[in-house]
Amino acid sequence: MRLPTHATRRDAGANMTPMIDVVFLLIIFFLVSSHLARQETQAQLDLPQAATGDNDADDLRPRVTINVLPAGRPLLSGVPTPVDQLAARLRHEQSQAAAGLEVRIRTDRAARYAAVEPILLACAEAGVWKVTFAVTEKR
Amino acid sequence: MKTVFRNPGAGARLTLAMTPMIDVVFLLLIFFVCTASFQPLEQVLPSNLVVSGAGAVNAPVEPTPELDEVVLRGEPAPGGAAWWVNATPCPTPAALDTVLGSLAEIDATLPVIIDPAGGVPMGDVIAAYDACRRAGFLSVRFAAAAE
Repeated sequence: MRLPTHATRRDAGANMTPMIDVVFLLIIFFLVSSHLARQETQAQLDLPQAATGDNDADDLRPRVTINVLPAGRPLLSGVPTPVDQLAARLRHEQSQAAAGLEVRIRTDRAARYAAVEPILLACAEAGVWKVTFAVTEKR
Repeated sequence: MKTVFRNPGAGARLTLAMTPMIDVVFLLLIFFVCTASFQPLEQVLPSNLVVSGAGAVNAPVEPTPELDEVVLRGEPAPGGAAWWVNATPCPTPAALDTVLGSLAEIDATLPVIIDPAGGVPMGDVIAAYDACRRAGFLSVRFAAAAE
């Protein structure tokens, strides 16, 4: 009978390195894919600055992001949307959200209030009263 | 005389395998690069809406306080928006801070309505909103005219 030696027992141990490789690769994959998904809805804008901004990390209610480009064109979830269709779209989203919808307006600081006012009006018409403005911290 | 025998494979077995370590180190490097955000952290300013005009919008009605409201009107100006708090002109941000601060000391529960002209840049609108919150006002709203 062949007895197991010390050397053969050591070879049978699990090699952790490939497993760590694969686990880290999976983590990086999910990180990058979620980052790309977020970039689809967040345009590169020069946001207004505010000293009294809040962090909303714990707010889990459904949210629609409207980007307002410097020229005043609104993008609803990254898609150019005419202002006259905003109320209907928001009403639909509001009906899908049981806990109430939040509309986040990411506007460039150079955009005029005339471009944002119809969005506020559309939110009011759709019954969305939770409207927030994205800002960067004023230092 | 005794002779020392050396196993020629013993030295090779003792050397560390560098390749898996480099693999893991590079993976850690990529992990930290991916998790680091190179964009400034965004915050939010919550707002309320006030709809004026003949639009058929059913806004939630809050009890009106006995004191008057504070209306902040803005007009576009070359060096930044010019603001009027009720009838008091505030040509500079410092003047706006002073007027809002003195009003908030009287009654911080007064509702503030921000009613800028269409040509005012949003950077100035948000700055005025920020000034209201800094002064301590609890209820700051935006006016939107229904056509």
